[in-house]
Amino acid sequence: MKIKDILEDLKCVTVHVNPERDCEITRGFTGDLLSFVMGSSPDGALWVTIQNHVNVAAVALLKEIPLVLLASGRSPSPELREQCLKEGIALATVEMDSFDLCGVLHGMGIRNRAE
Amino acid sequence: MSSLNSRDSFVIEREVKPLDFLSAGETASDFKETLKSLGIPADICRKTSIVAYEAEMNAVIHGGGGIIAMELEGDRITIVAKDQGPGIENVSLAMQEGYSTAPDFVREMGFGAGMGLPNIKKYSDELDIETKPGEGTTLRIVIFLKDEGGVE
Repeated sequence: MKIKDILEDLKCVTVHVNPERDCEITRGFTGDLLSFVMGSSPDGALWVTIQNHVNVAAVALLKEIPLVLLASGRSPSPELREQCLKEGIALATVEMDSFDLCGVLHGMGIRNRAE
Repeated sequence: MSSLNSRDSFVIEREVKPLDFLSAGETASDFKETLKSLGIPADICRKTSIVAYEAEMNAVIHGGGGIIAMELEGDRITIVAKDQGPGIENVSLAMQEGYSTAPDFVREMGFGAGMGLPNIKKYSDELDIETKPGEGTTLRIVIFLKDEGGVE
């Protein structure tokens, strides 16, 4: 599914940084412990988290994560927004909590593991 | 895998500043981009960036800053992370997933989950830890260029 389509289909979403390249995403990951995400997230997956500080961008960049979704209505720090803009990482806030958001994404066909 | 010859050997060295969370991750990202530009296989780039990131964060959080170097030579990538922090009192405890001495404000940022050294071990082929309480820590990490599938 394309990033723009994911963002369009999600309800109550505020887009902070639009995707630089509207790439296809098939995999997703959720986690708030950055080392866990570093060690366990598939490359190229979208990432659901409540962490909203600048280091989220560093992890996303290293894991080639093209889309970060901040759950539970969390707003990004200005530094995170700026870094995502610089690195071409799409960034959005979703009002749903991580659990419900992952449920919706799963319904869109996004999976943790490749099928 | 692309073949490397002696002309490709090099060392990159970066300084990491203590508690500089704004720049944290830049060294690992720099290493990864360099390896990618040389045509190193994606899985090796991925493993190297994970171990470099964890070593970098250890230096930022615990080590009072430090120097991280990546050497590409022959059949391997070697990362040496050297800090002059407090050292690791109990290495076998520090290698256990979940054990951490990070302060609360660091944990609240999602760091300090006790996965740094375990992640380095998991994604490297060799790990040597030289540490002495009060005198700092040096990690020597080797990743072989031969891609054998690695850890999923």
